[in-house]
Amino acid sequence: MSGGDNDVVLIKGNKRLDGRGFDELRDIKMEVSVLERAEGSAYIEWGKNRVIVGVYGPRELHPKFLQDPTRAMLRCVYNLAPFSVDERKKPGPDRRSVEISKVCAEALSSVVMLERFPNTVIDVYVEVLQADAGTRCAGLTAASLALADAGIPMKDLVAACSAGKVQGQIVVDLMKEEDNFGQCDLPMAIIPRKSEVVLLQMDGKLSRDEFKQAYKMAVDGCMKVYEMQKNTLLGSMNKFVGVEGGVENGD
Amino acid sequence: MLNVKDRDLVIPGQLLGSDLFYDINCFTENGSVFSCVEGMVRVDGKKVKMVPSNGVYLPKRDDVVIGVISDVLVGKWLVDINSPYLCAMRAEEVSRDAAKKDLSQFFKVGEIITAKVADVDEVYSCQLIKPWKVEAGLIIDVGPKRVPRVVGKQKSMLNMIRDKTGSRIIVGQNGKIWLKGGNVDLAVSTIKRIEKYAQTQGLTDQIAELLDKESAAAGGRFAREEPCSCGHEEEHAENDSF
Amino acid sequence: MEIEAYLKKDYIKNLVKEGKREDGRAFDEYRKIILDNGYAKEKAPGSCMVQLGKTKVMAGISIDIGEPYSDRPEDGVMSTSTELRPIASPKFESGPPNEESIEVARVIDRGIRESGAIDMKKLFIEEDLVWVVFIDIHVMDHSGNLIDAGGIAAISALLNARLPKYEDGKIICGEYSGKLPLTGTPVPCTMVKINDSILIDPSIDEEYGMDARLTISTTDTINAMQKGGNGSFNEKEVMDAVDMAYAKGKEIRRMITGD
Repeated sequence: MSGGDNDVVLIKGNKRLDGRGFDELRDIKMEVSVLERAEGSAYIEWGKNRVIVGVYGPRELHPKFLQDPTRAMLRCVYNLAPFSVDERKKPGPDRRSVEISKVCAEALSSVVMLERFPNTVIDVYVEVLQADAGTRCAGLTAASLALADAGIPMKDLVAACSAGKVQGQIVVDLMKEEDNFGQCDLPMAIIPRKSEVVLLQMDGKLSRDEFKQAYKMAVDGCMKVYEMQKNTLLGSMNKFVGVEGGVENGD
Repeated sequence: MLNVKDRDLVIPGQLLGSDLFYDINCFTENGSVFSCVEGMVRVDGKKVKMVPSNGVYLPKRDDVVIGVISDVLVGKWLVDINSPYLCAMRAEEVSRDAAKKDLSQFFKVGEIITAKVADVDEVYSCQLIKPWKVEAGLIIDVGPKRVPRVVGKQKSMLNMIRDKTGSRIIVGQNGKIWLKGGNVDLAVSTIKRIEKYAQTQGLTDQIAELLDKESAAAGGRFAREEPCSCGHEEEHAENDSF
Repeated sequence: MEIEAYLKKDYIKNLVKEGKREDGRAFDEYRKIILDNGYAKEKAPGSCMVQLGKTKVMAGISIDIGEPYSDRPEDGVMSTSTELRPIASPKFESGPPNEESIEVARVIDRGIRESGAIDMKKLFIEEDLVWVVFIDIHVMDHSGNLIDAGGIAAISALLNARLPKYEDGKIICGEYSGKLPLTGTPVPCTMVKINDSILIDPSIDEEYGMDARLTISTTDTINAMQKGGNGSFNEKEVMDAVDMAYAKGKEIRRMITGD
């Protein structure tokens, strides 16, 4: 956030730079079971974002002193590939990705039934291959799909979406230009069944009423994302119950 | 009250109904029952049960498993059974005075065994009994949650594969399956197919048809080999095959 | 495995159920805040030691000259880091920053940066040369709520910081040309959710017993927010937290600025 750069025109009439309305999400495509080795995996294309998530575990946790006999530990590693952004990013964790990893792990821990797997660890690896603002939302959305795909018991999915303020207007799902030159970014994730927030970060400038409006728009965005998640998971199980004709077809 | 039908596909967090009996793959909140995994729901009167599509293996009493010796200690072995938890096996399982001997003369690190799960405690550490060393043959991976379908009701599926391919097969409930002899290629491709289409209705009949067709194409039946002495080829927990 | 968490969790939860806190505070009451500005003024251009109840955190400001970021060539630069020193808790170890310390630093950083409290335009010296402001937050005693203690220490130290004298391409040590240009006083306010209650300014035991945490940094607008912990908040709780953060932020701001 820059505090609002007035030279860049981000909104014309009632449309944004890419022709979207204020409450419209970018195009989103999701797919699960995209990796062979991982216990569960998911891939998401969210606008220009490309994110792949793999889940390993529950598996033994080392070193042993980290083990908790009452619950599993959920670790998340968010990694931005060096080529995913305009200027090459130095490989390895930086402060931003460490923080995102932490908040994503906490958001996922709120739904995963960790008490089912004492002493173990569940590892969630979020690899951002192309970044265009909103990668933590895309990553978290895909991560909850990958956890479901891994058969890990969860009380709900986690659906994420951001809202923000661009040229004085509250909009949903900021893209790169809006993130760079807008006045506020509010990434959020909810558990759709209860509509409660499990990830909430914000930076920029918002009044109380603007925040309330942005919060509502982000929740609406999350619910749209949740519908897509639901269809993706149900679609992925078609083979499992043989809806696509007999077992002879398509091997 | 039910919110789903038998054989519906559901996702984690989906409402199944209220005032129901449910299994470990469901949970309850304020009287309502929800699924906590993705998979297929089975309804039987007031009972609901989830058939998960995926998941890791958690040891259960009386399961036959295939594992690898990962450590030889004094008086016991540690065995990796493709689960988040290591299993122990006591020296007494092989000979009465084994505790005084070097256990690696029976099983060395890296050797493959099949064994039965005896006791499992609340943090899933478990004891193995009746070990048998697995030599030669081939071991393939199947999703642990889809193993029950490979076995079938009263072992119907498994026996059919054995009959029609002539292979010796030990199905580990932990998702490891050992095969030897006969038309192994056909047995493997059949098992892989069952894994993929695990919950298709009329799967046994469809697989039978395919097996007949393909074993004829491969030049008829193979004679079935004698089973091993461990008895694991006959022992399979059937309570899981729905 | 943390024993303290297991030892205290049930006790704290039961107390909150009865509407009480272990130190007798109201749910929306801060612990006593003691500010000691200029704690290390002989060397550091700005410094402040904050005691928030038994939590002790010191913030030090260092000011250097350096290159601006390429995308904002006329703005000064600020950088915030937090050290959870091993002296502050048996849990802390020496070594590179861990995720906890990075989170504390980044949340405080966002509150100050996004509010525009430091007038970055006034930190421009000449082409390719600007003032660089380092905020170092040093945790000395961790008895809960490091973000608020650190945030209050940081903004208080900044308000009292002096800008070094710059002559002929060099900084003159120990001499100052004036105050660091500040335009606002962002104050972070952290709340935790225990059972279904929202408690402000959690003590260490309350942090062990919490379901979720929410930090909101305000000036006249909301500038930064961060949710932490494994639980969740509903809409009403978030909006109540926002109102509480505004109200408490105002009180603390008055205390820091002294008007």
